[in-house]
Amino acid sequence: MALDPESAKAEIIKFCEEKSASKSKFYFNDFTKLFPDEKTRDVKKLLTQLVQEEKMVFWSSGSTTMYGLTGAGKQAHSEGED
Amino acid sequence: MAFISSGYNPDKPMENRISDIGPRHFGEFLPPVIAKNFGKWDYHEILEPGVLCHTGLSGDKAYTVRCGSARLISVTHVREICEIADKFAGGFLRFTTRNNIEFIVEDKKAALDLKAFLNSQKFPGGSMKFPVGGTGAGVTNIVHTQGWVHCHTPATDASGTVKATMDAVFDDFANMKLPAPVRISMACCLNMCGAVHCSDIAILGIHRKPPLIDHEYLDNLCEIPLAVAACPTGAVRPSKVELNGKTYKTVAIKEERCMFCGNCYTMCPSLPLSDGEGDGIALMVGGKISNRVTKPAFSKVVVPYIPNEPPRWPTMTKVIKKILDTYAADAHKYERLGDWANRIGWERFFEKCELEFSAHLIDDFRDPAYYTWRQTTQFKW
Amino acid sequence: MAKHKTPLLDQLESGPWPSFVSDIKQEAASRAKNEKGVQYQVAVDCPEDLLGVLEMSYTDGETHWKHGGIVGVFGYGGGVIGRYCDQPQMFPGVAHFHTVRVAQPMGMWYSTEFLRGIMDIWDLRGSGLTNMHGATGDIVLLGTSTPQLEEIFWELTHNMNVDLGGSGSNLRTPASCMGMSRCQYACYDAQELCYNLTQEYQDELHRPAFPYKFKFKFDGCPNGCVAAIARSDLGFLGTFKGPIKINQEAVAAYVGGEIAPNAGAHAGRDWGKFDIQKEVVDLCPSKCISYEGGKLVMDHKECVRCMHCINTMPQALRIGDERGVSIFCGAKAPILDGPQMGSLLVPFIEVNKDDDYQAIKDVVESVWDWWMEEGKNRERIGETMKRLGFAALADAAGIAADPRHVQEPRHNPYIFWKAEDVEGGWDRDLAEFRKRHQR
Repeated sequence: MALDPESAKAEIIKFCEEKSASKSKFYFNDFTKLFPDEKTRDVKKLLTQLVQEEKMVFWSSGSTTMYGLTGAGKQAHSEGED
Repeated sequence: MAFISSGYNPDKPMENRISDIGPRHFGEFLPPVIAKNFGKWDYHEILEPGVLCHTGLSGDKAYTVRCGSARLISVTHVREICEIADKFAGGFLRFTTRNNIEFIVEDKKAALDLKAFLNSQKFPGGSMKFPVGGTGAGVTNIVHTQGWVHCHTPATDASGTVKATMDAVFDDFANMKLPAPVRISMACCLNMCGAVHCSDIAILGIHRKPPLIDHEYLDNLCEIPLAVAACPTGAVRPSKVELNGKTYKTVAIKEERCMFCGNCYTMCPSLPLSDGEGDGIALMVGGKISNRVTKPAFSKVVVPYIPNEPPRWPTMTKVIKKILDTYAADAHKYERLGDWANRIGWERFFEKCELEFSAHLIDDFRDPAYYTWRQTTQFKW
Repeated sequence: MAKHKTPLLDQLESGPWPSFVSDIKQEAASRAKNEKGVQYQVAVDCPEDLLGVLEMSYTDGETHWKHGGIVGVFGYGGGVIGRYCDQPQMFPGVAHFHTVRVAQPMGMWYSTEFLRGIMDIWDLRGSGLTNMHGATGDIVLLGTSTPQLEEIFWELTHNMNVDLGGSGSNLRTPASCMGMSRCQYACYDAQELCYNLTQEYQDELHRPAFPYKFKFKFDGCPNGCVAAIARSDLGFLGTFKGPIKINQEAVAAYVGGEIAPNAGAHAGRDWGKFDIQKEVVDLCPSKCISYEGGKLVMDHKECVRCMHCINTMPQALRIGDERGVSIFCGAKAPILDGPQMGSLLVPFIEVNKDDDYQAIKDVVESVWDWWMEEGKNRERIGETMKRLGFAALADAAGIAADPRHVQEPRHNPYIFWKAEDVEGGWDRDLAEFRKRHQR
């Protein structure tokens, strides 16, 4: 990919933080929109790295999966999993 | 009880982690006669209900005994199945896609002995543990979902409706006297994780009241944009309400747009959908999956609502039995339930099955509805 | 002595069909006794509490479960479904009661050794209750607490050499029929293709990045025992091009009543003597069979491979050679716009293990690339197809239009012509036009 992975990951984190007032969970394609010139597979690799670095987590409705910052949002608390 | 560690270190989740290995290869689990004749089978016969014989090009024969299961089964029960497999079937077994269990034995006598043994095993409450059947032109086991046992959006129970239905049609599980196979499926809400949309008879849980809104807690428990986005019909929008002089951020629901799916509740626990009075069952019939003679077909709604009547849902089982018996008496050999209804006409289907037709049964949901209305002078009086 | 009174559920213990209530009670009793001295890692009495909360639902007609979205194992976006009871004080044993999906072996064959190993883990670390199997095909382990999830995953992967299945917007656990293992109709090795693609796409299975769920199912023949045409976003159905092979002596044996038709499937009722004209010839959907002078004659070119004649006389008729798969795209249950069957995308493709199924993987990946680019959030590929048109999908997958793609041609002439389709393109000269036409 053309982007530097570290700065791209920082951009993802920044995007999530900026939106955090209204929502904490994001669809995968919210992130692909940040990098319109990159392949979706490469964007996914960044997100996988962020999950493995414990900076982001998955959230699943059972049928749909979203990404969010670790510990962000109301759901963790309401499920008693924080 | 003391915590027993598997070896996992929570401080270093990636340490010695194994991931992305997928399932075990099926080749490890094939009984010897199956492995030997893999890809070289010649033909099969159903010797009697629940007993099959497959003959290989080599002349080898594999005898299969098939029995039903509740799908929701315990470790104790699975271990008992393993004991049977060890004793009778060389330590191997198979589950079918419809939750039946199959044992492979070497000859016909062993198969019939095993059938007799399986049919003799009972739970203390009186039900059979391993009823043999589910083959040929009969009713086989019902595929189903979780229901009240484990799901957050069900409109009915799955295991209970299935148990009640299988008891009512049991004779057709243990025999092969129908015109063609009848596949019954059960899904406990219209999201259909049980995908019942192509079944001869489908039991479907349905809600009929829009979600309750717990305004006071909603903004604490869930994220409003997600609840709004979850609604397939766009019926949920952000809103504010005043309660006891306090303003709460919440949602408003356009109730006439609600399709009662429960997707908003999945995203937001402050929008519960379940309701004892509102919830119940719809019945759908006439779907099929196989390409045999006619094309695969969708199930059609023939009963819009039956109240939940736990523990045995007597109204529902009575209607199912009536449809099944009418079909059995009237259809041609090889004719699936939907093919029979198409041949006699759906107006005749309602008449013969003594089902009431109502406006709820005329499709009004988006484009596909039009294709279900009648555009011909051909119909029956 | 039962922890909770369950008078309604108790009524489900009678009748012939196996009672799940009796079985849960049996598990509750076994855990209470604990003859093997198991150090149960979740509440010993959770089966009792499950019966208790279920009895409550049977009384009030409402569910008592809440969904949880966060729990899972590290690095995976699926495989665990979070569940919480909404009456945790009354039923503490099931307050946290998460489901774990485990990848099933293709065709669902098991050795008792493997099955016991899974059960031992679930005895120690879960409720002792399972679903064999879930609707998509997984082994479903029903009910455990959050701290046990990583432990279960560790033991599954380290001790049992098996992985979790899928959930959420990922590739769901693929499923196949039993295929060649015990069926003479299998046109390809459905289990092996299913296994190979499952292994190839582990990342897509565990780390969701699709707009919504995506299912693969593999049926060995058009009989469709795993419902690939109705239940999978990409369905692989075995098919063949060569003529159905006829054994005329066996045909005569069916006609003469020496062999029971339909493999004996109708033996429970007296349907009268087998009538080959009525039961085979007349039911052929493409009317390509005749029975003349004691011989079955087939116009093979007109056969649509519905399987009826083969199913009815399995000892006389066998599937033809030149076998492969047809690929169908976009099946789904009704939500939202109505149910969809899979639409035929690839009429025939070879199943070639020698090149690791590359031709099939090329189709899969080009279909995914298109859907990931074009699909909206929570949109199944069947819905994307409907929104953008079948031709857009076929084009993305590199598949040329073929009359087999349609039941019949379109009913309207609103063809979206593109400039390159038309002689001279769309750039027209207004001045030239005005020379021919006044304003």
